[in-house]
Amino acid sequence: MQIVVDLNRCQGYAQCVFLAPRVFELHGEEALLYAPTPPDDQAERVRRAAAACPVQAILVGERAGAGAGTDVR
Amino acid sequence: MSTETLLERINAYASRPDPYPLYTELREHGVARQDDGSYLVGTYHEIAALLHDPRISSDVRHRTHPDLRDRPEDLPPSFIAVDDPEHDRLRRLAMRHFGPPHSPGRIDALHDDIVDVARELVDGLRGRDRIDLVDDFAYPLPVTVICRLLGVPREDMPEIRGWTNTIIASLDRSPDEDPDGRLRAAAQARVSMAGYLGALAQRRRERPADDMISALVHDDGPEGRLTEPELTTTLTLLTIAGHETTVNLITNGMLTLLRRPEALERLRREPELMPSAVEELLRYEPPVQMLPQRTPLTDVEVGGVTIPQGVPLFLVLASGNRDPLRFEDADHFDPARRDNQHFGFGSGVHNCFGAPLARLETQVALTALLHGLDAPHLVEDPPPYRHSPILRGPRHLLVTGDVAAGAGA
Repeated sequence: MQIVVDLNRCQGYAQCVFLAPRVFELHGEEALLYAPTPPDDQAERVRRAAAACPVQAILVGERAGAGAGTDVR
Repeated sequence: MSTETLLERINAYASRPDPYPLYTELREHGVARQDDGSYLVGTYHEIAALLHDPRISSDVRHRTHPDLRDRPEDLPPSFIAVDDPEHDRLRRLAMRHFGPPHSPGRIDALHDDIVDVARELVDGLRGRDRIDLVDDFAYPLPVTVICRLLGVPREDMPEIRGWTNTIIASLDRSPDEDPDGRLRAAAQARVSMAGYLGALAQRRRERPADDMISALVHDDGPEGRLTEPELTTTLTLLTIAGHETTVNLITNGMLTLLRRPEALERLRREPELMPSAVEELLRYEPPVQMLPQRTPLTDVEVGGVTIPQGVPLFLVLASGNRDPLRFEDADHFDPARRDNQHFGFGSGVHNCFGAPLARLETQVALTALLHGLDAPHLVEDPPPYRHSPILRGPRHLLVTGDVAAGAGA
């Protein structure tokens, strides 16, 4: 599984951090850090985090590149 | 023909089962001035602009004619009802013990507990040929979870429920009725609840436990702690919000699915769709239909209309969620919908504090019900609704079928 977060869209609502705290991390109050290739056991949490993003900045794909932009679920 | 304003018609109890045609009418009016001087906004882009506009206050004391009768004088308003920078400070101090950056794992750690509570409740339905999804499931689940999170003892839950009901009843503004009695009762309930929560916080100061109240009263963070009145109003807010909204989200969710057997079947087959299905429920049947507390701090122009300083401004989130200028096929429930930036949790700096918890609870709750109930169907449609047009949801949701056949699976 691969994740891409569009950090230009991200507004720091941090919904992803609540739902997948081992993949997404808030640095200070607003800056988002994340693991672009999370382990398989985090897949369900990552899907919940991507669905919850209020500005839909998280793209989830089975592999990065062309597929990532189409949000494979 | 009708001399009632749109707001009065939305507030009328008869509109509760299906307010959506009135919202369609509202969107056609654009920014709609009501005869009493208040303004209603129901179009997506205008609501979004106002939710992100610092000239729009959440503090009703900025109204030209504020109604403060349900506010006890010796309790400060909670962070939902004040503006930045005060709102930001209060919310941040509470967030330190609820979520990131200080407590990123708190909600994730509750997941297994929520699953256990949901399973116990479904097991309790075994052998029943008729259940009330509200009283038997949708109410006890989030109440148990919020009490566990905060550290409210289980035996005190009925008392909390009583105060909560009284305070919620005061949010309704029926024009044809003198609200004084309800508002006085709500002020009294707020004082009682604050007294109870203050005493509980004092016990946690002396003997900390593994709960959010203990964390709040022992906070040694750089900004210090909430003062005693701030602490009790914050706890009151979190307790009430934890009671009222998720109940409606779960119940509206089951009602929506029971009306659409094909969507219900699809979610059973494709459980990975549940997160997006819950987002769609938040768009399609949001538990908070409108924000009734906003007020412009100065004249504000939106949608070609100038909303004057100091007037009551109602942002009808549930109408924005059905705006065809923003959502394709807006009146269609699509559990796999993409591009779903709904207002189910509001937006902007006041966006729902408990959103991550509500999402998780609802995903777990609906999953447990879909797999625990076999061939459920509605006893009456529409079901009886609760009174409030703001926090809208069924009072009861009677379901029959082979309720227990799949329980425990």
